[in-house]
Amino acid sequence: MTSFFQTLGMSYEGAWFTATIAGILLIALPLMLAVALIIYAERKLWAAFALRRGPNVVGPFGVLQSFADGLKVFLQETIIPSASNRGLFLIAPIITFTVALMAWAVIPFADGVVLSNINVGLLYILAISSLGVYGVVIAGWASNSKYPFYSAMRAAAQMISYEVSIGFILICVVLWAGTFNVGGIVEGQRSHIFGFINAYAFNPLLFPIAVMFLISSMAETARAPFDLTEAESELVAGYQTEYSSMAFALFWLGEYANVLLMCALNVILFWGGYLPPVDWAPLYAVPGIIWFFVKILLMFFIFAWVKATVPRYRYDQLMRLGWKVFLPISLFWVFLVSGYLMFTGHFA
Amino acid sequence: MTTIAHLIKTFTLWEFVTAHWLTLKYFFKPKATINYPFEKNPLSPRFRGEHALRRYPNGEERCIACKLCEAVCPALAITIESEPRDDGSRRTTRYDIDMTKCIYCGFCQEACPVDAIVEGPNLEFATETREELLYDKAKLLDNGAKWERAIAANLAADAPYR
Amino acid sequence: MPKVTVDGLELEVPQGATVLQACEMAGKEIPRFCYHERLSIAGNCRMCLVEVAPGPPKPQASCALPATEGQIIRTDTPMVKKAREGVMEFLLINHPLDCPICDQGGECDLQDQSVAYGRGASRFEENKRAVTEKYMGPLVKTAMTRCIQCTRCVRFAEEVAGIEEVGAIGRGENMQITTYLEHAMQSELSGNVVDLCPVGALTAKPYAFEARPWELKKTPSIDVMDAVGTNIRLDSRGRAVLRALPRINDDVNEEWASDKTRHAVDGLTHRRLDKPYIRKDGKLVAAEWAEAFDAIKAHWNGAAAVLAGDQVDCETMFAARELAGTSMLEGRQTGLAYDTSSLSAVNFNTTITGIENADVILLIGSDLRREAPLVNTRIQKAIRKRKAKVFAIGPMTDLTYKVEWLGDDLSALTKAPKALADALKTAERPAIIVGGGALRYAGVHGAALALAKKFKLVRDDWNGFNVLHFAAARMGGLMLGYAHDGGIKKLAAAQPKLAFFLGADEVDYSLFAGSFKVYVGHHGDKGAHHADVILPGAAYSEKSGTYVNLEGRVQRGERAVFPPGDAREDWAIFRALSDVLGKRLPFDSLDALRAEMAKAVPALGVEGLADYGWSEPSLPSDVSGKIVDYPIKDFYLTNAICRASETMQKCSAELVHGTQYLEAAE
Repeated sequence: MTSFFQTLGMSYEGAWFTATIAGILLIALPLMLAVALIIYAERKLWAAFALRRGPNVVGPFGVLQSFADGLKVFLQETIIPSASNRGLFLIAPIITFTVALMAWAVIPFADGVVLSNINVGLLYILAISSLGVYGVVIAGWASNSKYPFYSAMRAAAQMISYEVSIGFILICVVLWAGTFNVGGIVEGQRSHIFGFINAYAFNPLLFPIAVMFLISSMAETARAPFDLTEAESELVAGYQTEYSSMAFALFWLGEYANVLLMCALNVILFWGGYLPPVDWAPLYAVPGIIWFFVKILLMFFIFAWVKATVPRYRYDQLMRLGWKVFLPISLFWVFLVSGYLMFTGHFA
Repeated sequence: MTTIAHLIKTFTLWEFVTAHWLTLKYFFKPKATINYPFEKNPLSPRFRGEHALRRYPNGEERCIACKLCEAVCPALAITIESEPRDDGSRRTTRYDIDMTKCIYCGFCQEACPVDAIVEGPNLEFATETREELLYDKAKLLDNGAKWERAIAANLAADAPYR
Repeated sequence: MPKVTVDGLELEVPQGATVLQACEMAGKEIPRFCYHERLSIAGNCRMCLVEVAPGPPKPQASCALPATEGQIIRTDTPMVKKAREGVMEFLLINHPLDCPICDQGGECDLQDQSVAYGRGASRFEENKRAVTEKYMGPLVKTAMTRCIQCTRCVRFAEEVAGIEEVGAIGRGENMQITTYLEHAMQSELSGNVVDLCPVGALTAKPYAFEARPWELKKTPSIDVMDAVGTNIRLDSRGRAVLRALPRINDDVNEEWASDKTRHAVDGLTHRRLDKPYIRKDGKLVAAEWAEAFDAIKAHWNGAAAVLAGDQVDCETMFAARELAGTSMLEGRQTGLAYDTSSLSAVNFNTTITGIENADVILLIGSDLRREAPLVNTRIQKAIRKRKAKVFAIGPMTDLTYKVEWLGDDLSALTKAPKALADALKTAERPAIIVGGGALRYAGVHGAALALAKKFKLVRDDWNGFNVLHFAAARMGGLMLGYAHDGGIKKLAAAQPKLAFFLGADEVDYSLFAGSFKVYVGHHGDKGAHHADVILPGAAYSEKSGTYVNLEGRVQRGERAVFPPGDAREDWAIFRALSDVLGKRLPFDSLDALRAEMAKAVPALGVEGLADYGWSEPSLPSDVSGKIVDYPIKDFYLTNAICRASETMQKCSAELVHGTQYLEAAE
């Protein structure tokens, strides 16, 4: 894109800057739109699982429901509890929201279509997603209210626990792909199985960790059945209890942006990213970005499906799963994968 | 044997898979709910919806400020003040219902000796602000005027069972 | 002492007791409408039917049947129940079913008893009787269709209030209770018929349709409209006192209350002082508490005069006294200067119940009916019960009973007319009552004491010397030293730099032209107009207070509502002011204040009759001149609260000044 702006007569620096800004806008604005629609989609999906109809009044089939909700929230009064830490209280949702957007910088939407094609993209994602917990913890602390505080403690413990196993899972994938570059990982999946299936997930050795990553990403985004941070029967609304109006909306946007990010990561790491499912020439007629979005939507359907099916875990069950099941297995899998790769001379 | 079966089930997430299969089947079933704002369920004549203060056919308001509804209200949502009207009759100068407190138990209409306060068939009275839900006498009388036909029909339908 | 058996319970009842009383003693509840303990027996409602053996085989009205030896009384047989149900059905034949619009609803005898004895539905298919409303004055609202002809109101008017203006005309179904000519009841006690009425035929007009009994918070309190110390119950809702009702206290008010006591409460919400004011350039300007305190501080030199009004509680007077730290205290606003060296010589020694037993009573310049209506009912009772003779010195006025007027010349005190002298000499329990009106004249106090001595009015078991005050704060004030030697004139002559006026609205403020005047009170009346600084205080309904009535009875009332706006309880004002003035008062709570007060004046620490002993000061007894008039010109407008009350203004206009309200009965 830089060269495009250069052809408009800009200097390289100017063109680079303009292109970056344009790239950020091109990602962030559609993402916001996508979040709005994905919330609508999720509500429709749950409704369908529960034999209900879901939103159906605002706009055709209720598509504009999220925008109506957004408008309502926007018009509401911002209530800042008098006992809260005002500065932190306001910063917390901004952190959550910003961090959720930042990770998208290294996601390749199609071959070469990426805002920032850095070598350690995966590490960058890991780093950024760990920052997300700060928003929640700060929100819980700044509210100066007991339920948000409990919720923040839970969120912190939960996210740290699952990041450990997520880390090991990523190592397996990185080992196989041989690169930290996100685009490289996608490319590594081209013709991976039987020479024509473009996905790591169909590799028998990687399928179990694909499932584990799916589950861990639900825990990482505090989605059902791991949504203990907002277990309303115990914690009112968790760390969002004291929030209202736009601050509340920012949390929601951030949360769903995170969910989309996790879906995207699942797709990129195990399901071939922007590649068509099979390496067959006619399929390449469809642009990679469409494949990518279709896969994200399918992944999101699974997320919603799980949420509609599985009841919420108890906190000790959650911790047990994280530390006593996923951690040993993923650690073992690192040995297994690296051993297999050594044995087969993959690196040779 | 069972241990092995259990292990296999555990590692294949069998329970989850079956559960998701079940929910997926439901996903494609027809909806159990009606298409609400466009379709509506029939309401019982005893349905307890939004409150209204009625008038007699000659336009005289029914409420005589006996305060029985205020006394019986378990949520303390009703506030009445009264004084003699110019013609000496007993009338309210204030009849407030805090609809945010009201629990729609219907005791007020049960207590009313003149069928003045009734819970009408209207259930769609959401408001933008909280203040709008603090109903005063004018609002309630206005409701009465709006819903009188339906309310009278409901009362008549239910009369044989009272 | 006859022995009777009530429902199998054997008990002895006093001679002359009725069967109804016997049943009550046995703990049985007998329904009744016409019977009332303090009125004569009528026996016309028939609700109190019981089965009595020996006697005719039919139920008998227990209220009118004397209990005799060996009677076997049954109150719980089916026959009794059926008989009462029959009576109830008859009563309800003509009683309208308008409970929802009836003010008596919720506290109605008929309503309550129809729960026990009423039928679910009426069998009466004819038209009910309708009766036109009768006009009974500005306080009593009538709905005579509801009347069940119990005649309690008729008997009350005749026997207690002493006015024969209420009665029944017509017979049978056409019987109607009326004031004959349909004018207002000329009584200070007319409000009591509202309480007596067992149904909603007579209800309180000022309170009409205002509230239901179940909405009201009930607070026991003491009335301050006169010095009787009527025990009242203040019924309040939210921040407003809606009505005052008498509490039963046989030693003070039995179960009556004067109209002023009952209906002046609407004055508590009008013309209130709800923020401090400071006079700037001759105009009163609203201010903050701190500013007001600073303004007072500028004039503070370590001492101040305190003038107490008629309605102040002892706590306030004590707190003010402690702060002022002087002997410049006065409570007798109108300038009375009688000797207070002996409290017993200015007390109503016979006591309010005691006066019932007097057989000769001499009133000296006392318009009892206006000054203490409830004491007047006791004298009425003495006349009815003991055939007491009443003499009076002073201008003639209607006291509702027969009085032998001895003229208005005070010389009658020193040279008692023969009739009086004979009566006093032969009397077993003679009493004289010196009114506040007479104490204005020099020597009257001494002459009355001399008269008491001459006719031995003070005996071992009887003290017939009485002074009748009519300010609720008077006796308490005297006990706390609120009596400057020589009265208010002499106090003013000392020219205090700073003077506190505790709700004092009758003071001649021109006397205090040189003083910095601080008015601590609740109504914007005369006192507030003259003040340099106004500190808004609490009225009697808004503070817990101790009051001493005219017989020296210490009584306590509780707070019913909170003072309006920035107004505070008076003692707390003085406590806060004491900090600013650098003279911290040693109490932070009402309890601590009361403890301090009890330390200073022990009698104020104990509820009940204070014992002053009997000591006779030697006073000059030369009298001359005439009693020109009585101090209370307008019974309904004697204090700031009354003057702010619309009801009292209406009463005054109609009953005192004779304005005709052509308000047709509703």
